[in-house]
Amino acid sequence: MIGRRSKILLFFYMIFLVVLFLMCSTDLIIREPEKEVYQVAVIIEDVRDDNYSNFRKGMDQAAIEFNADVHFITLYEKLDAEQQMELILREEQDGADALIVVPVDERQVKEAVAEKRIGIPVVLFGTKAAEEKAAGEIIVDYRKMGEQMAEQMAGRISDGCPVLLLAESHGRNAINNDFLEGAAEVLESGGHSCLMAEPDETGGYKNISETLSYGPAAILAGSPESLSETAGVLSENPFLRDQAEGLFGRGNTLQILNDLDGELITGICVTDEFSRGYFSVSMAVQALEGKSVREPMVMDSYYIEKKDLREPEYEKILFPVE
Amino acid sequence: MRRFCFLWSKQGEQSSTIKKHRKPGIRIVCLLLGVCLLLTGCQGPQKEEEKKSIRIGISLYRGDDTFINNIRNELEEKAKEYEQEHGIKVTLDIQDAKGSQNTQNNQVERFISLGCDVLCINPVDRMDASMIIDKAMTAEVPVVFFNRQPVEEDMNRWDQLYYIGVDAKETAILQGQMVVDLYRKSPEAVDINGDGMVSYVLLEGETSHQDSLIRTEWSIQTLKDGGVPIEKITGGIANWERSQASALMEQWLGAYPDTIELVVSNNDDMALGAIDALERAGTTKVNVIGIDGTTPGIEALENGKLLGTVSANKGIYASAIMELAASCALKEEKPEEYPLVDGTYYWAPQEILIHDLEE
Repeated sequence: MIGRRSKILLFFYMIFLVVLFLMCSTDLIIREPEKEVYQVAVIIEDVRDDNYSNFRKGMDQAAIEFNADVHFITLYEKLDAEQQMELILREEQDGADALIVVPVDERQVKEAVAEKRIGIPVVLFGTKAAEEKAAGEIIVDYRKMGEQMAEQMAGRISDGCPVLLLAESHGRNAINNDFLEGAAEVLESGGHSCLMAEPDETGGYKNISETLSYGPAAILAGSPESLSETAGVLSENPFLRDQAEGLFGRGNTLQILNDLDGELITGICVTDEFSRGYFSVSMAVQALEGKSVREPMVMDSYYIEKKDLREPEYEKILFPVE
Repeated sequence: MRRFCFLWSKQGEQSSTIKKHRKPGIRIVCLLLGVCLLLTGCQGPQKEEEKKSIRIGISLYRGDDTFINNIRNELEEKAKEYEQEHGIKVTLDIQDAKGSQNTQNNQVERFISLGCDVLCINPVDRMDASMIIDKAMTAEVPVVFFNRQPVEEDMNRWDQLYYIGVDAKETAILQGQMVVDLYRKSPEAVDINGDGMVSYVLLEGETSHQDSLIRTEWSIQTLKDGGVPIEKITGGIANWERSQASALMEQWLGAYPDTIELVVSNNDDMALGAIDALERAGTTKVNVIGIDGTTPGIEALENGKLLGTVSANKGIYASAIMELAASCALKEEKPEEYPLVDGTYYWAPQEILIHDLEE
């Protein structure tokens, strides 16, 4: 028979074993803080992410820091506003906690936010601050960027030099339109005639060779794609290259930076894409954690030439380290 | 220690005591518990709901490799096509391992923890894929390797491992064949200085990459077998990189002026590096051949800077990865249009692209 003392010891021993077991294999006693992983979907306006490499680096950095699972989604058709709305609703339905949207049609998305048709926080990339606030807004004033570009161009091209503005077909890209309109206003007030060119059926700009065959002119590309394409055309045609008083545009893909370094491109306007990506995810997470809505963040734009490429101030914008 | 011994002996006594006074109620409880356990264990698998979305984790050995970048772009396109055709949402998580196997292992771990249904891995070190395989096997996530073939011992470890790539020997033979054909048609186009001997330099990829060694061996062998009189001047390893190839070529142009007639490169990026050096030196009378058919490679071909390249059909290559990955994720039959050799390997078709010298 076991004595009373032994029974008590045995009882405590068993209790001790049970407590040890609970501590080791369950979270009943020591509860590890649960880290929620936020599902964030990023929907851009393009079919490819070529212009978003630095943006994605910033986004990935923020995803690690804020414990977010970020999905990057491109459209099936470029600048298809309806499809973008469908994707927004699809992502919400599929369980995304927040959305980051580079809108094709800024007004349409802002209306959807204002009318509460989207039931999760939305961080918007826009050109103007919305009246009805989204969870966060990151603004790039492309019109102002165009004006800034034109001011710089004016100092680099000869007086009265005509400028060929490369636009999208039927002006369907609002960002390009704002940028080119801003530039045209300043250039025309400075005595430069501006000629708007749209891509032909092959997607190229026939007008470049036509215009340059009449005499020297400067070229301003509205989109990163048209800038790269024009740089390619000039590199293959020494006559056109001599006739062009300069090639300007916006964007900072690797190809554009190489062409700037190779002096095919004279100057570019850029924004800090890494920060845009980083802050968009950070705003989305803040909104999910119930923190107060920030005021719209307005991004600065910078004019950069070849000589600035290795300046530390610009180097960190153009070549961010992950 | 004494206490443990004491408890042990006392427990022994206790068990004999329990045996003596065991009640039928305890037996019933034990029996019920046993039956419950048995039933829990025998519970059949719950019927899986039809999947409406799949998530694919993709890790690239280096995002700045032109060929890999081309494949990545194609993969994104194919994923969208798949979504539209099948009505199944495809989420691609694409990560760049930046040439670090350690980073890639961490990426694989993250993919698994994020619930990826299948992994598509372009391994950094093909000899060191065991860690990836271990993690995938533990999590039961199938892996489709591509472009850099893990060693056979690793591939044989599990039946949910696949490899998609091109047959390196076929690539090399096609590369050699394009020069053989040109030599037969017009010897002076290859033997530029007309001395009866084609002097060549060789640009090789990473030594650890299986394709590098095979491409070199069979390309040169095909030239010899095809009756092209060749003489190797020199060669070097440029690790698939344009800048390294450019530096090597510049060095060779200085060391062997007016001697090099042909540059045989294991890929297009290195071939373009050689062209960069030739342009800097103002030399145009050298034929350069590459492999891969990358976008910049094809541009150089169209401009007449590159004589020829062997191009893997990147559309089919990426489709095979996408379809195979989707079938793994959805636990469906493997796609018939991409037949697997030994149930594991798929070799993408290739073609010769050559600049028309008469243009």
